[in-house]
Amino acid sequence: MRQTGLAIEVSGLHKSYRSLIGAAQVALRGVDLRVPRGTAFGLIGQNGAGKTSFLKTLLGVVRPSAGSVRVLGGDPEEPAVRRRIGYLPERLHLPAALDGIGFLTSVARLKGVRVAAQELRDAAHRVGLSNDATRLIGTYSKGMKQRLALAAALLGAPDLLVLDEPTDGVDPLGRADIRVILAEERARGATIFLNSHLLSETERICDRIGVLARGQLVREGPLSELSGETDAYRCRFAMPAPVDPLVSLGFTPGEEAGVFRVRAACAETLNAKLDAARSRGALLVDLRRDVRDLEEVLAAAMQGAA
Amino acid sequence: MRVTLAVARDLLVEALQRRWILALWLAITAAVIVLAMALRMEVVDGALAATRLFGHAVRHDIRSAEGAMQPVFQAVAYVIFYGGVFFGVLACADFGAELFSPGRIEHLLALPIRRWQLLLGTYIGVITLSVVGALYGAGAFTVLLSVKSGVWTVRPIVAALLASVTFSAIYGAMLASALFVRSAAVAAAVGGMLLVLGIIAGYRDDLAPLFNAGISRATFLAATALLPRVSQIANAAADLASSHAVDFPRLARSLFGLEAFGLGSLAVGMWQFERKDF
Repeated sequence: MRQTGLAIEVSGLHKSYRSLIGAAQVALRGVDLRVPRGTAFGLIGQNGAGKTSFLKTLLGVVRPSAGSVRVLGGDPEEPAVRRRIGYLPERLHLPAALDGIGFLTSVARLKGVRVAAQELRDAAHRVGLSNDATRLIGTYSKGMKQRLALAAALLGAPDLLVLDEPTDGVDPLGRADIRVILAEERARGATIFLNSHLLSETERICDRIGVLARGQLVREGPLSELSGETDAYRCRFAMPAPVDPLVSLGFTPGEEAGVFRVRAACAETLNAKLDAARSRGALLVDLRRDVRDLEEVLAAAMQGAA
Repeated sequence: MRVTLAVARDLLVEALQRRWILALWLAITAAVIVLAMALRMEVVDGALAATRLFGHAVRHDIRSAEGAMQPVFQAVAYVIFYGGVFFGVLACADFGAELFSPGRIEHLLALPIRRWQLLLGTYIGVITLSVVGALYGAGAFTVLLSVKSGVWTVRPIVAALLASVTFSAIYGAMLASALFVRSAAVAAAVGGMLLVLGIIAGYRDDLAPLFNAGISRATFLAATALLPRVSQIANAAADLASSHAVDFPRLARSLFGLEAFGLGSLAVGMWQFERKDF
């Protein structure tokens, strides 16, 4: 179910932190961003780029020095707006003296969400904590705390999920579980705003990306656009590949021997070119879309920002 | 108010899991049980005829039970007052620092709670804890001594509540300090310092002549002017518990000053909380 309108609307956002000694530290320099509802948006950038500051301004935890922030059509400091947001912070410090269910109960109460005991157990089960829900949080591993905090963020079926490094400390299978949960949330209609250092994770979850560098949004758009051309393919032929015939067919030699790039607007054109290559003695062993991964997107954006 | 009380309730739930707080309950309960078994009082026609503690006779003149119990209630009131405030300062010092710790405060502030509700809820939770502790400790000792002596009074309990009121003012400053420096040690130091300075401030009129007239004395009087008069309230609590005359107008002034100090500190804390980024 796709929703209309904007989940996040940020314009001219500046944030600087005052300091008693020395100059103020500037974290954000005029960020403009619009995230449509129902999107899975990934914010990437280097350490100190201002990602966490940006996330916190979305929640009213950090106040903007200038500019405006609207979330789900309202002021993020309004409790009615926050009630519709689920947040998973990067640094977690959960009350060690409570057990998992006790913590979820507390969050539900503070969110004003009425949930039955069974629903809380289901929430714990959903994040893989069925057997540990009644254990004290003080005995949890980092990954378990992360799962519990995610369960807390999901309470009340929020319209917007703001997740700061959601898979940090979680084992590989747990990461896959979290991806499934986020896909389910998206299918429900929730907007996801993700900040993660794991670019492969971001790539798998998000369909829209923003690159933050030195407090500025230097790239923003659909993942497919940022990743490169959608009609370019990368082919690897068995060695020795017939270079001249392939070049004459429109294949461009790549960075390695046997690797060529080719453009094709549709599947028919691509297959026609491959058939022609095969008829000239080239044997295809690997074919994939020629897109840049997020690492390359980030590196290119950083170069552009420098 | 619902949210504020929910915050207070969560704090109490968390507090009841803490070793410090459980140790206090156990210590009070154990002391009451030991005293109940070890103390024997023989009251004949309203007079305390004999007292045995741990099997040994306590020498004293035969006199009215009420008169004999006065110094006992007075001592109990002092122990509960200073012991309770001191324990409260130590045991509750980390509530603020924990609440504002990185990783927790961001999570709380992202929930549909206003900042003042979070601060007020924490304050109410801690004060409730102190009142319940005071009522439990003072109530148990008062009932025990009343049963043994036949002298029934609620005055020691009222005296213990005065200790809670005193702690509430000190805790207001401790909580505010945690917003400037997120450290349990600093909060405990602020609480301990206020307790000591508050004792001195309560005797400021008696101590002032010890300073040379002029700048020294004026500085001392100025430095202690805004501090809560802890020792004045402790003395009034002890007098109240032991049925001695209490200067109520003076006590009312001390309580007013105490609450003004506590609420003022809390207001400074709220001001800092509202403007702070986490």
